[in-house]
Formats: sequence, structure tokens, C-alpha cells
Amino acid sequence: MTFALQALAVAGKDLRIEVRGRHALGVVLPFACTQLIAFGLSFGPDRSLVAQTAPALLWLAVFFASVLTFRGAYEAEGEDGALEGLLLAPVDKGAVFIGKAGAVTAQLLSLEVAIVLLTGALFGVTMTGDVPRLVATLMLGTVGLVSVGSLFGVLTEAARAREAVFPLLVLPLTTPVLIASIRATALIQAGNPADAGSWLGLLAAFDAVFLLAGVTLFGHLLED
Amino acid sequence: MAIRHTHPAVNLRAISRAFGAAPALSRITFRVERGETVFVRGPNGAGKSTLLRIIATAISPTAGTGEVLGFDLLAGREEIRRRTELVSHRTRLYEDLTALENLRFAAVIHGVNPGCASAAVEEVGLAHVAGERVRGFSQGMRQRLALARAMLRAPELFLLDEPYAGLDGQAKELVDRLVVGAQRDGRTVLVVTHDATRTHLATRIVVMRAGRLYSPAPVVGAEAAQP
Repeated sequence: MTFALQALAVAGKDLRIEVRGRHALGVVLPFACTQLIAFGLSFGPDRSLVAQTAPALLWLAVFFASVLTFRGAYEAEGEDGALEGLLLAPVDKGAVFIGKAGAVTAQLLSLEVAIVLLTGALFGVTMTGDVPRLVATLMLGTVGLVSVGSLFGVLTEAARAREAVFPLLVLPLTTPVLIASIRATALIQAGNPADAGSWLGLLAAFDAVFLLAGVTLFGHLLED
Repeated sequence: MAIRHTHPAVNLRAISRAFGAAPALSRITFRVERGETVFVRGPNGAGKSTLLRIIATAISPTAGTGEVLGFDLLAGREEIRRRTELVSHRTRLYEDLTALENLRFAAVIHGVNPGCASAAVEEVGLAHVAGERVRGFSQGMRQRLALARAMLRAPELFLLDEPYAGLDGQAKELVDRLVVGAQRDGRTVLVVTHDATRTHLATRIVVMRAGRLYSPAPVVGAEAAQP
């Protein structure tokens, strides 16, 4: 019960800060939209090529948006030593991880609604063939990205290596999530949602492993 | 309620700490008994804040061993954190939360009733800005709020790092009240300060210089021992 309350407090605090700072709306969403438009323009008028690559473009936009969102989530902790406050509080550090991951997941899922709609509008593709599986892919893929990003995002504030550590650790670790998410989305878009099952299974397994790793390791990464 | 325990509040043995190649603390041996109020004085860069942060377990020593409230500095970190409160010049507040939201959040993660937050804000004279974001607060107001957060809890060991810096007379009295209240309850207080006008609150004064501790300096005439 305490774990859940503490995680909810951290998530509530992060979401409140996000709503007031408007980082997702003012920075992340325009960035993702610009990226999608640039991708669309670079492919020219060949609609079939654009349609084939739409799932990858969508997930690349989500991925880069997630990187910005992780940074935003930890920026507030860096102001005036707030992260040290969490370190020194007698709080379950696993609850802090779950709370931060939950807040970033909520932000990214909201952004993804806009990104999916924009992808459909720009590239003329429809992804509404199997909505439950598409939603499952978006959720599982997002949790996969967030579990890795929230775990190592703390290093951008806590570690000496700062800028270098995050891309070196997060980019390779999230590659399986991106591949599985893109493949599942492509199969759903192509009208073969049943074939996406194995990719969704892979995503679920990845999420479970990295959520557990986050709960276990987050406290160690916070330490000096 | 007075606190009575057998272990000393702080017992450090040959503690050293370096940041890169630069040594901040050199083989510090330091003991503080329960219920003492010890003021640590010394010039900038003497290692006073580093010493406090090691005791609070915010950072680890690079060499040496020690216990705080009977718990090992490394193995007993979580137990130490449960029983200590560090108030430093870094106020650890969230800029985009209001004063009250900051305190409520601190209460939840410290396992304290969030309902106490309003009283704490009032106690430090910030009731009129309780619903305003910390981003618009002056440094003095932030420090008052950090004190209010410390007052939410009743830790066995208070660690105050330059608590008087940047405060007006009224706010300094708040810090004094915190220290005197802790003394009355038998709690241990360790204060790092440049403010010579507050040393009458100390039961002992120690002096640090270049990462070394010179102690014990007697309270009476302690200023003469300043480096």
C-alpha cells in the first residue's frame, strides 16, 4: 500500500509539473510533428513507399519524443537538488521509479494519439483496422521505451558522465522495442493483426524484465 | 518525548573524501554524543558541507568507516535516512509546485500525514503564499519552506548546512526555534555555519580547515580559535 501511495505521489507530482511547464505540448509535440513532416517531404510523392515506411516513421517520432520526455522528467529533479531529496527520503526507490515511469507513460500515450493521427493524415495510411491490437502495441512499446528511459534517465542528473551515458545505454537497449513495435504496427496496418501476436509477446516480456530491473536497480543508480 | 539511546549520534573514524584528485576531507575522526548541539565552523572550502553530506549519506566516504545513530554509514544507509534530516542551502524544492504541494509531497514520501503541511507553512510565516508556485519565491522564502519541510518530521539527528545564510532576523529566529526545540526533545543537532552570532546555541564548537577537524574548541572563547 505504501509502495503504491508513494508511486502515485511521485507520478502526480511529475504530471502536475508537466502540466504547468507544458514541456510535452510546447517542445515535444512540435518536435515530433516537424520530424514527421520532414520524413514525408523527403519521400516525395511516392505514396506506396510512404505507406510502407509509415510504421517505422511513427515509432521513430515516438522514440525521439520519448527521449525529450525523459529529459524533461528529470530536469525538475535537477533544480535545486530535488533528486537528492528523493535519495535521502525513506521512500522505496522502486516506487519512485514506477511513479516516474507512470508519469512519462501517460505523457507519451497522450502524445501518441496526436502522432498516430498526424501519421495517418500526412501519409494517407489508416491504422484503425484492428484498434485493440494497435492500442496494445502502442502501450507495450511505450512501456518498453519508458522502462529503459526512466531507469537510465536518472543518470543525466546523477552521474558524472551525464550526456554520454544516456544515449550509450538507452539507444542500444531500446532497439528490440523499436523493432518489435514497428513490426507489430506494420502487420496490423497491412491487415494481418493475428501475426502481430508474437511481436506483442516479445514486447510484453521486454516490459516485464525492464520494469523489474527498474524497481530493483533504480536506487543503486541514484546513489553517489 | 526525550530520546535515549546507547550509541553515539555520530561516530566517524578516519573518514576521507576526494572529488576527483582534490581531497575534501582528510582522515576525519569525529564523535557526537546523543543530545549534543555541535556547531561546525571554518572557512569556505574547509570540507564542512562534505562532512555533513557524508553523515546524511548523500555521498559516501572514499576511505574510513563510521556509524550514524548506531548504523553503518554504508550498510545502514536507509536506517540513517529514516532518522536524519538534512537542511542545506540547496532547498530541494520543486519550482513548479506550490509551497503547500511541495510540503504535501515531502510528507507522503516521508510517511508523514500530509495534513500537517498547512500548519508547517503557517509556522514559517508563508501561509499567505501557500498556494503560489515556488518559482516566484525569494531565496529566503525558499529556505523558510525548506525549514517547514524539516519541521514535518521529528528526526533523531538534524543536519543544518548554513541554515542562517540569506535569512532575515525573523527567519533566523525560526532556525533557532528548530534548534532549541530539538535540544529540548533530546535530539542531536549538527550545524555548519559562518554566523558567529548563533554559537550560543551550541554545546560544543568544532573548527574545520583544509579538510581537517580541529576539536573540541571550547564554547567560551571559541571565536578566538577560528582560523
